[in-house]
Amino acid sequence: MIPPAHQEPGKGKALMLALAVHLLLAVALFLGVQWKTEETVVEVELWSPVPRQATSLPPPPPPPREQPRPEPKPEPRVAPKSDPKPDPKPDIAVKKEEKKPEPKKPEPKPEPKKTEPKPEPKPEPKPEPKPEPKKPEPRKSEPPKDPFKDLLEQETKLTQSKARTQTQASRIAQMAAEADREQKAAGRKSAESNWAGKIKAKVRGNVVLPPGIQGNPEAVFEVNLLPTCEVQRVQLKRSSGNPALDAAIERALLKSSPLPKPDDPAVFQRILEIKYRPVDE
Amino acid sequence: MNVTQDMSILHLILQASAVVQAVMAILAGVSFMSWYYIFMKWFAVRDSRRKTEVFEKDFWSGGDLNSLYNSAVNDRHHAGSMERIFEAGFREFTKLRGQKGLDASDVIDGSRRAMRATYQRELDALEAHLAFLASAGSVSPYIGLFGTVWGIMHAFRALGNVGQATLSSVAPGIAEALVATAIGLFAAIPAVLAYNRFSHDIDRLATRYESFMEEFSNILQRQMR
Repeated sequence: MIPPAHQEPGKGKALMLALAVHLLLAVALFLGVQWKTEETVVEVELWSPVPRQATSLPPPPPPPREQPRPEPKPEPRVAPKSDPKPDPKPDIAVKKEEKKPEPKKPEPKPEPKKTEPKPEPKPEPKPEPKPEPKKPEPRKSEPPKDPFKDLLEQETKLTQSKARTQTQASRIAQMAAEADREQKAAGRKSAESNWAGKIKAKVRGNVVLPPGIQGNPEAVFEVNLLPTCEVQRVQLKRSSGNPALDAAIERALLKSSPLPKPDDPAVFQRILEIKYRPVDE
Repeated sequence: MNVTQDMSILHLILQASAVVQAVMAILAGVSFMSWYYIFMKWFAVRDSRRKTEVFEKDFWSGGDLNSLYNSAVNDRHHAGSMERIFEAGFREFTKLRGQKGLDASDVIDGSRRAMRATYQRELDALEAHLAFLASAGSVSPYIGLFGTVWGIMHAFRALGNVGQATLSSVAPGIAEALVATAIGLFAAIPAVLAYNRFSHDIDRLATRYESFMEEFSNILQRQMR
């Protein structure tokens, strides 16, 4: 009889509005939900175990030991060669270039000058260096200055090159050692911060914050650990300004007594400095 | 050690597992449909309430029943529910009154039945899709919960593969999973609110129609004498 005239009013409008609502929601979610977790960076900075510097200092000594080695070596090697020679000049020449260029400059200078104009000093050195390796050749060569010069130069070059190669080798070794140390240090640092994070998480779980903390004061504690990571002694080094907070943190440190062990046992330190803030940003 | 994670909602959705993504898609569809029906119902209820008010004013201002009937028939597509009920009842009344051998009570009963039939049809039209809002409101939290449980199961299974269990290795998975619950709640809350609101509005309209039917029957009965 009566046709049910049910054209729902505003179908298109409803569709558009529903779309608009969802677009709005999507935009709000997209702009509103941008969580960024950067706490972890802070975590690393918050903790700096005191003795780290003490332990990291020992590693440097070994390279210094390596450094001295190359230096002494050249000397003995030069010495045997110079032993047959009674003259101190070659030795001095070698040494000049290696170590002390300042005090013995006057001596080397006279030598070349002498070799050029005066034949007097030449005879002395000539016989001595010649017997060693290449004396016949310099003898045959008419200019008497050359052999000695050549020999000197050769020897100095030899010693220099040896010294160079040795210093280079030592440098390379040193660099390798340094890189190794750095790597180890980096590994240790990450292991340390890992450990610090674990300790911090445990302590944080045990802290019962007193009411009425203003701001985010930092308290510094020194904690002595047994090798089993049990807390032996807790000492307040710098108060946060709030005695109740200090006491709460101290209690929490003692309560979390077997502190978590580090993954890498090498990281373990007997004395830790723990900086604590009630809220970490 | 710890990688800083940028968690945008897009990232969370795209990183989720397939089942969770399917749940999210279903919920987005449900949410869209429920908002569509919410707006549609909102317009429909507002429209029929306005038309009812207009018609009641016309009816009780003492106008001629025949002219009211004519205007209702001529403008059928813009007639409100109450106008249609009036039209059905009055048409049945005029038809029955012309027949001989019929009691007054028979005529009134006939027109009341016609009005009741139209009333049912109108109410049915008004209540259409309300059931969808009701089920969207009650079920979509569970769908979202299912997605979340599934996502958390995945997160924990992945956690089992990691040697050292840290919060940072589970947290992203759980965050992803919880997005499903969030979407489910977003679909459910407006649907429940709208369902309650519309069913209340439609109940009030139905009461108005029923009382109009009774009053109109009285008027027809008076006209029989």
